[in-house]
Amino acid sequence: MTSLNAKIQEVFNEPACGVNHNKTEKERKKGCTKQLQPGGAAGGCAFDGAKIALQPFTDVAHLVHGPIACEGNSWDNRGSKSSGSALWRMSFTTDMNETDIVFGGEKRLYKAIKEIGEKYDPAAIFVYQTCVPAMIGDDINAVCKAAAKKFGRPVIPVNSPGFVGQKNLGNKLAGEALLDHVIGTAEPEYTTPYDINIIGEYNLSGELWQVKPLLDELGIRILSCISGDGKYLEAAYSHRAKAAMMVCSRAMINVASKMEKRYNIPFFEGSFYGIGDTSDSLREISRLLISRGAPDKLMFHTEALVAREEQKAFAAIEQFKVQLAGKRVLLITGGVKSWSVVAALQEAGLEIVGTSVKKSTKEDKERIKQIMGEDAHMIDDMTPREMYKMLREARADIMLSGGRSQFVALKAAMPWLDINQERHHAYMGYVGMVDLVRQIEKSLYNPIWEQVRQPAPWDVNGESWQKKAQAAPAALPLAAE
Amino acid sequence: MTQDADKVLDHFELFRGAEYKEMFANKRANFENTHPDAEVDRVREWAKTKEYQEKNFAREALVVNPAKACQPLGAVFVAVGFEGTLPFVHGSQGCVAYYRSHFSRHFKEPTSCVSSSMTEDAAVFGGLNNMVDGLANAYSMYKPKMIAVSTTCMAEVIGDDLNAFIKTAKEKGSVPAEFDVTFAHTPAFVGSHVTGYDNAMKGVIEHFWDGKAGTVPKLERAENGSINFIGGFDGYTVGNIREVKRIFDLMQVEYTIIGDNSDVWDTPTDGEFRMYDGGTKLNDVANAVNAKATISMQQFCTEKTLELVRNHGHEVLAFNHPVGVAGTDHFLMEVSRLSGKPIPAELEKERGRLVDAIADSNAHIHGKKFAIYGDPDLTYGLAAFLLELGAEPVHVLATNGNKAWAAKMQALFDSSPFGANCKAYPGKDLWHMRSLLFTEPVDYLIGNTYGKYLERDTGTPLIRIGFPIFDRHHHHRRPVWGYQGGMNLLITILDKIFDTMDAKTNVAGQTDYSYDIIR
Repeated sequence: MTSLNAKIQEVFNEPACGVNHNKTEKERKKGCTKQLQPGGAAGGCAFDGAKIALQPFTDVAHLVHGPIACEGNSWDNRGSKSSGSALWRMSFTTDMNETDIVFGGEKRLYKAIKEIGEKYDPAAIFVYQTCVPAMIGDDINAVCKAAAKKFGRPVIPVNSPGFVGQKNLGNKLAGEALLDHVIGTAEPEYTTPYDINIIGEYNLSGELWQVKPLLDELGIRILSCISGDGKYLEAAYSHRAKAAMMVCSRAMINVASKMEKRYNIPFFEGSFYGIGDTSDSLREISRLLISRGAPDKLMFHTEALVAREEQKAFAAIEQFKVQLAGKRVLLITGGVKSWSVVAALQEAGLEIVGTSVKKSTKEDKERIKQIMGEDAHMIDDMTPREMYKMLREARADIMLSGGRSQFVALKAAMPWLDINQERHHAYMGYVGMVDLVRQIEKSLYNPIWEQVRQPAPWDVNGESWQKKAQAAPAALPLAAE
Repeated sequence: MTQDADKVLDHFELFRGAEYKEMFANKRANFENTHPDAEVDRVREWAKTKEYQEKNFAREALVVNPAKACQPLGAVFVAVGFEGTLPFVHGSQGCVAYYRSHFSRHFKEPTSCVSSSMTEDAAVFGGLNNMVDGLANAYSMYKPKMIAVSTTCMAEVIGDDLNAFIKTAKEKGSVPAEFDVTFAHTPAFVGSHVTGYDNAMKGVIEHFWDGKAGTVPKLERAENGSINFIGGFDGYTVGNIREVKRIFDLMQVEYTIIGDNSDVWDTPTDGEFRMYDGGTKLNDVANAVNAKATISMQQFCTEKTLELVRNHGHEVLAFNHPVGVAGTDHFLMEVSRLSGKPIPAELEKERGRLVDAIADSNAHIHGKKFAIYGDPDLTYGLAAFLLELGAEPVHVLATNGNKAWAAKMQALFDSSPFGANCKAYPGKDLWHMRSLLFTEPVDYLIGNTYGKYLERDTGTPLIRIGFPIFDRHHHHRRPVWGYQGGMNLLITILDKIFDTMDAKTNVAGQTDYSYDIIR
């Protein structure tokens, strides 16, 4: 456990992290993990964070070492998409039982690794630690090391048991596992001056594929995407990229910054959400590649592509403006960067009445101010109750949020659109933003919302459930995140 | 041959064997004198064009795949809804065998029904003897409490007079003079099973209220607060009637279900054969004349019946198979108005749950295009529900729909922005629907079991809602009325949407990147 503790301290001490800059030495030591309030609704654990960060690697067997709970409840619950192997969707777990807990689960784990290798021949096996084996002292690092040696295939320990902290910490610990055991362990067949890494992108709903054609057109090769639609080998030789784009700022910033330190791969934080942001990101990729030796004309091509795509996208959004003008949006996002969506929505004539900045950095907040003005309504950590109140008082016409807040909106009789990991539409890139606007329009004008907001037609004034709900705030629904 | 006594193959597998395949190929090549494949393909593709559709819609005489059944089927439906009542169809016995099997295949229950077994000589000399003998035999063999007579085409063509025949039969002692024998003329060459329902229901009510064919004085109405409820011809009658009873009980409404088929088509397996079960008590039918009002769930099933009831001073109300939130709201509020009883909190909760479920899943239905066919009232109710969900019921077809139905459908379409591109097709058949599905494709088709051929030919996924449902079991046990019923419909529709999504993404290694656990 000491090595795990050290690792956690190391992760907390992330110099590239915006939040860390503003902390005193003492605060930094304390770490980022906010102490959870017992009895309060909470989000995912560190195991979940690690699993979701790495699970999109498609040709890897993801083996969860623990009782059935951890894998049983998380099997295939992400909308990542694969262009190749479907192995990542298989559910592998050691399903520890009482005997294992008494006598230790290491042998069972070793056997499980052996069986996966024999039956599925995966490019690699990722072994996820969970609370129970961590507490009884199963040393997955040692088991993985022995198994890798014995079976001649990469067996990567992901040491992020649930109890060490929240989901975000798990994301970072997953990144550490890649840095320690995967990145730099193989060499690509060839390299080009146009090789990039995309870090912290999960190809949810296959949205990376909406951006990839743009990169293809510019001749830019995604050497490795960590981890959406990724392959083990690609991650292993990702240290040969010329530049990197860091997509989800907080999730894997340690991977980007350590790769910059170790392998001189410059990175920037960007987003493919929103029209302007997609353009900025493409320009930034080109700029970094040129700084690493790519020809100058790359920027010229990029500008031409940006101009063409922006024009196309704005023309497509134009048709929704009549329907959407003046509609008020409340934005509660998790990983998707608020400011990048804000700009796109404003483009369609929508008014943003508030945006969450829970996972945003100081720079993010500055950008939101730039876009929305000084009086931007930024919500740091909105409780479901506040969210409900805001929606109920009809200060917004629609809420955009993750799946877990969905029900707050629905119970407040408010249209809602899923923009988090379980969504079924891809919103990335130029076409994605057009689709987002289209989905908002659809959601706003669905006839059910009128139905939802109306009390039962036989109700006399003052007795509707809506009125009752407003009169009794204690009975408001609660939800995580 | 491929069949082998040690391992007998069933029909799923047998003809897939090499020997059979070869035999069929030889037969086709040498003896069938078939058109060349290319010609067959050409015609098949041509049948998908607008040009073909125009010819198809210009059809005047031929009906291909009609979505309706005949009047006596509706009459039998009515008959079994009354206490101890034996349906007696005056005419040829073959027709009656059809009704019995038709209902049994749908409800998975026996349907008792007899005929007067008219033959050629009866057709020449009239069916009186058959009626006299038939009633006597049926009465002594099956011991019913009432016999409900309807007719097949044969009796109608020769013009048998049921009223006179029954009177004569009673005079001759076939059944006791005071025994209840209701009657309705139900020629299959007029209207459809919904017309037959109407005629038979009118026949029963008329019998009890208007002096039992002149044998007793007409009933004097003494209005009470009760409400009569008539369901109409309904494939979901088992679940629906029970749901309606539950709703009325919750509301503490005094009511009489006139025509209650919920028990006879859902008898328990406990060792006892119930030839008759449940049904509206005959006394209750008589007392129903005193009710304050009469509600019909299906306007086009009860036009003549309601007229009769109205003439007895009742307030009458006809719905069009109301389903979904607004449909049920309307129904409950009218019941509440008529009975003076408030809608209880429990039902309001159910309403909220349905609204909640729709809101949860609306994105998957919103904007989807549907084709619907079926009985006039059912198609109306379903179309209204789809509009409520934000879907477009683009083609709505009722072979037994008339101009009044089409006008009503059009008014419904005009009331919603989602109805802008929708059209009603009265009197058209499923071969017309086939053309429509090719030239103006939709996302889903709603119809009865016969829609599976349309599903196969056009690739439009079929959502089974209607009558008959032969190839899926027990759907009739679930209500589609009330908020609970709306929930069932919603789930049925959603299931198909998700099944379709899965079917389109389940090729391993090709499309399964979207074969998701969470939809």
